[in-house]
Amino acid sequence: MIVLLAVVAGVTAGLVLHPTVPLDLQPYLPIAVVAALDALFGGVRAWLERIFDDKVFVVSFIGNVLVASLIVYLGDKLGVGGELSTGIVVVLGIRIFSNAAAIRRHLFRA
Amino acid sequence: MAPGGARAGENGRVPPAPSDSKELHRRPDESMSLLVDMWTNALDPGYAAAAAGRQATGMSARSRRGGPFLLVGLLAASFLVVVAAVQAHTRAPAAARAHDRLVGEVQQESQAVSRLAGQVDDLRAATARLRDDSLRGTTAGARLAGQLAGAELAAGTVAVAGPGLRVTLDDARATQGGSGGNQGGSGNPPNRVQDRDLQSVVNALWAAGAEAIAINGQRLTAQSSIRQAGDAILVDFQPLRAPYVVSAIGDPVATETAFAQSPAADKMRGYAQLYGLHFSYARAAHVVLPAAAEEPLHAAKPLANRSGG
Repeated sequence: MIVLLAVVAGVTAGLVLHPTVPLDLQPYLPIAVVAALDALFGGVRAWLERIFDDKVFVVSFIGNVLVASLIVYLGDKLGVGGELSTGIVVVLGIRIFSNAAAIRRHLFRA
Repeated sequence: MAPGGARAGENGRVPPAPSDSKELHRRPDESMSLLVDMWTNALDPGYAAAAAGRQATGMSARSRRGGPFLLVGLLAASFLVVVAAVQAHTRAPAAARAHDRLVGEVQQESQAVSRLAGQVDDLRAATARLRDDSLRGTTAGARLAGQLAGAELAAGTVAVAGPGLRVTLDDARATQGGSGGNQGGSGNPPNRVQDRDLQSVVNALWAAGAEAIAINGQRLTAQSSIRQAGDAILVDFQPLRAPYVVSAIGDPVATETAFAQSPAADKMRGYAQLYGLHFSYARAAHVVLPAAAEEPLHAAKPLANRSGG
């Protein structure tokens, strides 16, 4: 219930408030989204494995987003921003994929 | 032959001692375990640690369900995703609009350029007509007009027609692309026509008695250049596309004979055999060559004692 409520509230807030992302932050948005998706999939998997912990979820979510953005920022300053972004997307993509596979096994037993 | 030890097999290999075989048994991909680790430890280890911690304090190891943290986290995550989606949605049409506008501008400007080029041609024809009209009045003027016409013909600034020769050069077909001998890296693969091939063919045609030459409709004058920029061959800074047709006006038989015996033609025949380039030439009864763009001389001035001319 609380999950649905939070998601609906988040989506409505995003749609209604229609925030304009500052130009300086725009390069980090896609990476932040990938990091958030990773945290979300990890949370769902933990939920299904009955070891979910809301504090871990929030901390991993915020930490993922911050670290991913920081790495991209550092990469930009070092001139390897594109490559580091690719690396982050690869690592998080693999994690998302394997978490999704675990979720699928839990849900469908297959 | 070294005397084999008691445990050495017939092939001379010592089988691993059973005692340390387990310690030495390592995964063959141990040094590349990064991907495996990522795959097996996809779940944040924090969840397991938290569950173990709860168990240690006597609570149930099972999920701690939503408190305010969960609400905040999910709210923030869904907010972030929606913001990104909205952002992508609003930015994509803008990018497409900018692209369309640029394409439109390019088309518009190139239309303007061709329109202006047409105007230049018309005006040039008009001035030539007016000049001829005004010169025709007097005998001295008529002589001048004759001289001018000759000079223009020689300079290549008027369109000309006549019998001549057509030389066709083309790159080797793609199927032969890989086999092209000493493939000199990026710059000039030997199975493509180079600027120097065109230069030597044009020079051979001039030497063979051609009076006017154009490559793919680009008239050559004394100021023309044939050079390569990247993959394209530029004639007077206009990029040309293969096949390259070099049209020359001159006495067909004499020009063809002289050109066929020229070193340039020999070389091109050799290239055609070696690399599969296409090289052919044929007489043409009627060749029409366009006028070259007039390039006024800014720095060069006639010598003083000839200026009266």
